[in-house]
Amino acid sequence: MSLKSERRGIHVDQSELLCKKGCGYYGNPAWQGFCSKCWREEYHKARQKQIQDDWELAERLQREEEEAYASSQSTQGAQSLTFSKFEEKKTNEKTRKVTTVKKFFSASSRTGAKKAAQERNLKQGQLGRERNADNILRDLKEIFTPSWELASPTEGNTAQLGELSACSTEIHEAKAPSPSINRQVSIETDRASKEFIEFLKTCHKSGQDIYKQCKIFLEAMHHKRELNIEEQSEYAQDFYQNVAEKLQTRSKVSPEKVEKAMDQIEKYIMTRLYKYVFCPETTDDEKKDLVVQKRIRALHWVTPQMLCVPVNEEIPEVSDMVVKAITDIIEMDSKRVPRDKLACITQCSKHIFNAIKITKNEPASADDFLPTLIYIVLKGNPPRLQSNIQYITRFCNPSRLMTGEDGYYFTNLCCAVAFIEKLDAQSLNLSQEDFDRYMSGQTSPKKQESENWSSDVCLGVKQMYKNLDLLSQLNERQERIVSEAKKLERDLIDWTDGITKEVQDIVEKYPLEIKPKNQPLAAIDSENVENDKLPPPLQPQVYAG
Amino acid sequence: MAAAGSGAGGGGRSFSFKVVLLGEGCVGKTSLVLRYCENKFNDKHITTLQASFLTKKLNIGGKRVNLAIWDTAGQERFHALGPIYYRDSNGAILVYDITDEDSFQKVKNWVKELRKMLGNEICLCIVGNKIDLEKERHVSVQEAETYAESVGAKHYHTSAKQNKGIEELFLDLCKRMIETAQVDERARGNGSSQSGTARRGVQIIDDEPQAQSSGGCCSSG
Repeated sequence: MSLKSERRGIHVDQSELLCKKGCGYYGNPAWQGFCSKCWREEYHKARQKQIQDDWELAERLQREEEEAYASSQSTQGAQSLTFSKFEEKKTNEKTRKVTTVKKFFSASSRTGAKKAAQERNLKQGQLGRERNADNILRDLKEIFTPSWELASPTEGNTAQLGELSACSTEIHEAKAPSPSINRQVSIETDRASKEFIEFLKTCHKSGQDIYKQCKIFLEAMHHKRELNIEEQSEYAQDFYQNVAEKLQTRSKVSPEKVEKAMDQIEKYIMTRLYKYVFCPETTDDEKKDLVVQKRIRALHWVTPQMLCVPVNEEIPEVSDMVVKAITDIIEMDSKRVPRDKLACITQCSKHIFNAIKITKNEPASADDFLPTLIYIVLKGNPPRLQSNIQYITRFCNPSRLMTGEDGYYFTNLCCAVAFIEKLDAQSLNLSQEDFDRYMSGQTSPKKQESENWSSDVCLGVKQMYKNLDLLSQLNERQERIVSEAKKLERDLIDWTDGITKEVQDIVEKYPLEIKPKNQPLAAIDSENVENDKLPPPLQPQVYAG
Repeated sequence: MAAAGSGAGGGGRSFSFKVVLLGEGCVGKTSLVLRYCENKFNDKHITTLQASFLTKKLNIGGKRVNLAIWDTAGQERFHALGPIYYRDSNGAILVYDITDEDSFQKVKNWVKELRKMLGNEICLCIVGNKIDLEKERHVSVQEAETYAESVGAKHYHTSAKQNKGIEELFLDLCKRMIETAQVDERARGNGSSQSGTARRGVQIIDDEPQAQSSGGCCSSG
């Protein structure tokens, strides 16, 4: 795991073209700037170290487990006799299993491929819960049993083949320097090899030859693992071509049979190679996957109407088909063989055609099909879309990809992805403003439609849009309240200001004169000082008249 | 460019060809292939689920031909996706509606693009469909035929509705594709240095021993 991230993080400047170790040869970014020879050494060293670490970790974990056990037992000592007996039994069992794990790991100098899984499992085991540990041990056993058993049944089958047995031993010898081919065997690979051998038995003489060629090819691919993925792809394509050619010209096999044989060969070699050539770290496939995934997420608002999808999802049968199509396209990622992946795309396409046929009551043309496929891809957002497409293009038997029906659907899928990547306002018949608004998430075209949504739309989504509506209403109301509150505040301030002003005006108009205290009005009566200065009152005068 | 494989038992050769159908929406591309492969038109009893990918097996003068007909989405918004579709095809059928001048313009655009991208290796057929609507014709026969000749394409008049000219169109196209394939093969046989250039994508499963030299992985077999 650590190795993986370490490898991905390396960037090499254009100037550093030579091998980092300074051996004088040219380096390669795919090999962390080492030349092929130095890189192999480095890689080997790193792997050894990893194995060492794993081993240490396993040992430490075992110690911790034992300690945890000892402590848990001491606390539980007071419990009933039967239970402690049971516990004891379990402990015995556990220690035995742990030693088995240890054995696995000591053997892991050869079986290092599963180390990531082991490490993960063991980290979980650190929790110290014995039940958990037991489960993990069982899992581990499951992982390993097929590899114990593989050699024997395969050999058994080959022995039945008679002639094949000789060549198989030869191949076993050839495999000896590269145990990793043996090591990465899972149940699926095992099944694929069994099927393959069963099939080869029906081919009589040419079967032996095919088997030999495949083994040689796998061996060669193992050595090419450090090469650029395009070169590996080229090599695989050459292999397909050569085998098919040989079957046709030398062994005089009928074209139908050749096709069948090619399918089996593809299945056999690709189940084995999948792990190394699917989304390899040396490419930017993963980055592209993320870009597409993000893009599809950003386009969540695209409606069938915008794409002119001729599918009416209100018909229950149709929506059923749409769901099935989405399931198929998502399932593609889980397959290992390119042909199986193609089969998923074809299955998805068939469901789309059904949906169109039910809606329109006529056979679907490409004009109908492509928009619907785009819609399905947008709705499904299938995992690792770019990686899958790349993997199929690189490693699928080309005769199938270029001419067959599967090839047609695959091409359409490529078109759908290309369309989604480049999609703009114009391609959805939208104005640029609308497109931008939808892209930025300010509004959603679905919101307006939420009223007249059909009944079969997911309840949660409906509820969500209802809630969104409510929220936006609440938001509106709150804004109104805030603005009114502000207005009120302003009014209040205005009012106080107004009052103050009025008061001041009045005060200015009628200034308050405070008369001195010694001149109260009452004084007029009490102290008539000035009265004394007044002229004497007028006396009535009588005029003779 | 031909994906041609040698027949196993019989002495006859067998060819597989990929033919793309190009043209604007509503010109009758789908009806054309449905008529050809199913001999049906606007029929309620059409059994095929889809008309976007159809195959037809032919026998032309002892040569077996597997024809794979790829329909393409004609809407303008999908125009840019064209190259993904017509890559590695042996023939192209460019359909226009004789009552629609615009659709003929689209055909011209396609021709230009195809010649630019694929050169002369691809056999082009320009097809004026809906000749049952002769009265409403907007593209003159003279103009269309002269144009076709000028770009090295053949022109055909068809009516999917009345089943006219369709059989001839496909038969003719197949003959031309066989010819091209054989010429191509001979050229490759002579100049073996050229071999392997078309490895990726186009698949050559023919019986020329051209890949022998590069067959490192089976040299021991």
